[in-house]
Amino acid sequence: MEIFLRRFRLLLFLVVVGIMAGCSGPDGSIDQNDGGSTENNVSDQDQNEGTDEDDSGETVYVELPPIAVREGDGLPFELPPNLVWLTNNEDPEFASPDAIRGGMYRTWMLSFPLTLRLVGPDSNGAFAGVVRANQFGPVSYHPQTGNPIPVLATHWAFGEDGRSIFYRLNPEARWSDGVPVTADDFVFAVQFLRSEQIVGPWYNNYYTERIRDVKKYDTHIYGVQGADAKPQEEMHYYYGIGPRPKHFHRMSDNWVTEYNWKPDPTTGPYHIGKIEKGKYVDLERTKDWWADDLRYMRNRFNPETIRYRVIRDENSAWQHFLKGEIDTFDLTIPEYWHDKAQHEVFEKGYVGKYWFYNQLPLGSTGIYLNTADPLLSDKNIRLGIAHSINFQRVIDTILRGDYERLETFQLGFGPYDNKSIQPRKFDLKKASEYFEAAGFDSRDNTGIRTRTNDNGSKTRLSFRVTYGNPLHTPRLVVIQEEAKKAGLELQLHMLDSATSFKQMLEKKHQMAWMGWASSGVAPRYWEHFHSDNANVTQTNNITNHANPAMDELIMQFRASADRGERISLAHQLEQIVHESAVVIPRTKVPFTRQGAWRWLELPEWLGTRHSTALFNSQPSSQMYSGGGLFWINEEKKREILQAKREDRPMAKLVVVDETYRN
Amino acid sequence: MLDPQTIKQWKRFKSIKRGYWSFVILMVLLGLSLVAELFVNSRALIVSFEGKWHFPTYAGVIPGETFGLDYDYETNYRELKQQFKDANEGNWVLMPLVPYNAFENDLRTDRFPPYPPSLETQHYLGTDSTGRDIVARLMYGFRIAMGFALVLLVCSYAAGILVGCAMGYWGGAFDLLFQRLIEIWNTIPFLYVIMIVASVVVPSFWTLVTVMVIFGWTAMTWNMRTSTYKEKAREYVDAARALGAGHSRVIGVHILPNTISVIVTFIPFSIASGVASLTALDFLGFGLPPPTPSWGELLSQGTNNLESGWIVGSVVLAIVAVLLMVTYIGEAIREAFDPKKFTYYE
Repeated sequence: MEIFLRRFRLLLFLVVVGIMAGCSGPDGSIDQNDGGSTENNVSDQDQNEGTDEDDSGETVYVELPPIAVREGDGLPFELPPNLVWLTNNEDPEFASPDAIRGGMYRTWMLSFPLTLRLVGPDSNGAFAGVVRANQFGPVSYHPQTGNPIPVLATHWAFGEDGRSIFYRLNPEARWSDGVPVTADDFVFAVQFLRSEQIVGPWYNNYYTERIRDVKKYDTHIYGVQGADAKPQEEMHYYYGIGPRPKHFHRMSDNWVTEYNWKPDPTTGPYHIGKIEKGKYVDLERTKDWWADDLRYMRNRFNPETIRYRVIRDENSAWQHFLKGEIDTFDLTIPEYWHDKAQHEVFEKGYVGKYWFYNQLPLGSTGIYLNTADPLLSDKNIRLGIAHSINFQRVIDTILRGDYERLETFQLGFGPYDNKSIQPRKFDLKKASEYFEAAGFDSRDNTGIRTRTNDNGSKTRLSFRVTYGNPLHTPRLVVIQEEAKKAGLELQLHMLDSATSFKQMLEKKHQMAWMGWASSGVAPRYWEHFHSDNANVTQTNNITNHANPAMDELIMQFRASADRGERISLAHQLEQIVHESAVVIPRTKVPFTRQGAWRWLELPEWLGTRHSTALFNSQPSSQMYSGGGLFWINEEKKREILQAKREDRPMAKLVVVDETYRN
Repeated sequence: MLDPQTIKQWKRFKSIKRGYWSFVILMVLLGLSLVAELFVNSRALIVSFEGKWHFPTYAGVIPGETFGLDYDYETNYRELKQQFKDANEGNWVLMPLVPYNAFENDLRTDRFPPYPPSLETQHYLGTDSTGRDIVARLMYGFRIAMGFALVLLVCSYAAGILVGCAMGYWGGAFDLLFQRLIEIWNTIPFLYVIMIVASVVVPSFWTLVTVMVIFGWTAMTWNMRTSTYKEKAREYVDAARALGAGHSRVIGVHILPNTISVIVTFIPFSIASGVASLTALDFLGFGLPPPTPSWGELLSQGTNNLESGWIVGSVVLAIVAVLLMVTYIGEAIREAFDPKKFTYYE
């Protein structure tokens, strides 16, 4: 048994690493790279090992070539004279002036990062997200108003071609090693990310195809040109690339190995400090951080140190939390919020429970029907299935009524959301009508609907549901039992997460139970619904949906730089997705829930509209700069620990904040 | 007729009370589990509706419309029973002892699963975290686990005995070759193979049996090889050969019956290990696909919901009881077949 467990743990670790790699797309972009990049990473690593062996010890450093510009692309050689420089110092501050600086915030991670590099093989683990959050871009978005706010740049201006943007840097901006941030670092970023030495094909491609040119005009002024015109409101998100420390990187074929454990200096509040490999990583606050007094940065990032401890099992992390060795714990999962968080540290008021509704892009979770399947190509059957799936029962029972039904495929993008769509509900009568229209008008002796074909053979209404998360089995068994009532048989097909995702990308599934992470400023349709991606493997169009009318709208949507037009197109597209019934949207979690020891304090308003978590120690989450609002009250810590020792109860704290509930 | 030796062994076995009673109980349980539908089932045993009797247990699905209900999916007999009772029109329903099957989610709106044991709802051991009855899960899980262990036993013994006998009987180069082959085969880590298989395809009952037989048959070969070597040197084998018996007859009719005690003593332990491995695989999530009732799956639910002690309590007790009984049986068989009891030197 022990061997079983030990091996299991190894596998679990691999799976978890896999999941993490799958979850965090670099710089918050595009899921599409996830499937591919894992594979690439593996082969790249092999190549890299090869070069290590050939290496005779002598490292040859190279200069990166200047940025190649294609014909038709390119920024002007001189800074355009008629630029209108914009900035934003009017939006409200969202951090509390009561914040106290200092202390150590203790949190945990499942595994030690495989590397501290930010690009290259193995660099896409969960911890990389933490470090990336401390690498600022020129501009970020205000977590309440959604407007751009200055970060490394003080001003920005848009070029006439609709796809160029110019930034003027804050001369105070410094890397954590004290070196000033200049326009050279931005030019270097593109050279660096296009270079072969980083062994990052995804970056190579993205910074060649999407970012077409970068030019330095002055020590503190530079411009970026992207591939397509974008609405100005969204341009920073697409083309506001971050800098890379030019003074820090010496490029060679050995770069990947040489920089494995050499963390980049950061521009954000924290940089990597003490490390004990396999045990913990400390993020330390940069001394005299250059942005300390900026309007949107002051009173934030209060802990002096953030310790990420490696705890290889969630249950044992929970025990550490109950003992007070970890400061916060995520309580989003209903079992945690309702059952596990009834522990005496909650009841006696030492730990508070926070339930905070937010407004972020919601994951596109659902059941995706593969229209390449002969039965599922029939729209009546798809509609019948949609009315046979009882999500509401799952929500009301297994999920304790906490989650909500997701109405549309993509949701949470503000004005882009099509709020007029109502999801199809569990309705046996409607299901029966649709199934009968498809010829499934009798039931066999197991109660499953059958259709008599022209040649006299019988077809049963039975489908495989492929999924990769064992935690979802309870939800699926309820759905499976309910679907039987409609005469629909669902066979649960659970594979490990990587294999199930691969099957879906290869379009070998019938019904896929999965979810796409969403982020960014606008929904995405091309990768999921364009016919270019249908019926070919390794694309995100896992429904094989192909509709010429929709293709046209998708291309218009992609090409348009007019926000109003894009919004109206998105509404039409979402309507088509709904009518095609290829996706049955599942559930949404429009909130964040955490438990926190009471010595962690929050502003009166707890968080912002776009807070991914209330106790978020990192500057940005998704694209908004809203993290780091909490602080540690050492005096209160002593009090609480004293009370705990004496077993003296305090007032219980359960906060449910619905300010941003839709 | 049984030969006197066998009768002696059976008597000896019977006299070992612990093993004998374990055997009886286990056989009864196994027998009951084969007709579990009659005791643990959501379908009624008998429905008397408007003077006509229905026996839904082993029949196909009877839609609710048959009994004047307004739906065409399978009748909910528990509700039907209540309705008949309330209406009091002479219709009645006879439900099994535990009126739940292993798959249905008995979810209530006022509480969240898992529900604790209750006589009132007839969840005698409570429910798991999706509201499925634990007695039903245990009963049907037991049937599957025992079935698995028995099929595994027959298949891997057949292969093991065949190869083992052949190795012992022919010896020489053949023996040497197979010994090395088996040694090499044994170094393949079978758990990894199962994990790989489980990650690529959804393992079914028969894929699991196949994989486990492929990697499990070797265990029996060594014992059979040794016993065959021993028996082969005896005079009766020479005599049979001299009378013109062929190899297969010598092995099958003469040698095998004389090695039977070796085989029989191993059987209970193989069953125990078969049940344990299926449970372990299910526990780790590499076993039979959900929603198959399984002890391992129940055990992993139990360890994740330690607050709901009835889950882990029931399944641990069940596992311990079955493995204990099997071990007692094994012990008794070993005693019964111990040749020392029958020597003349006593």
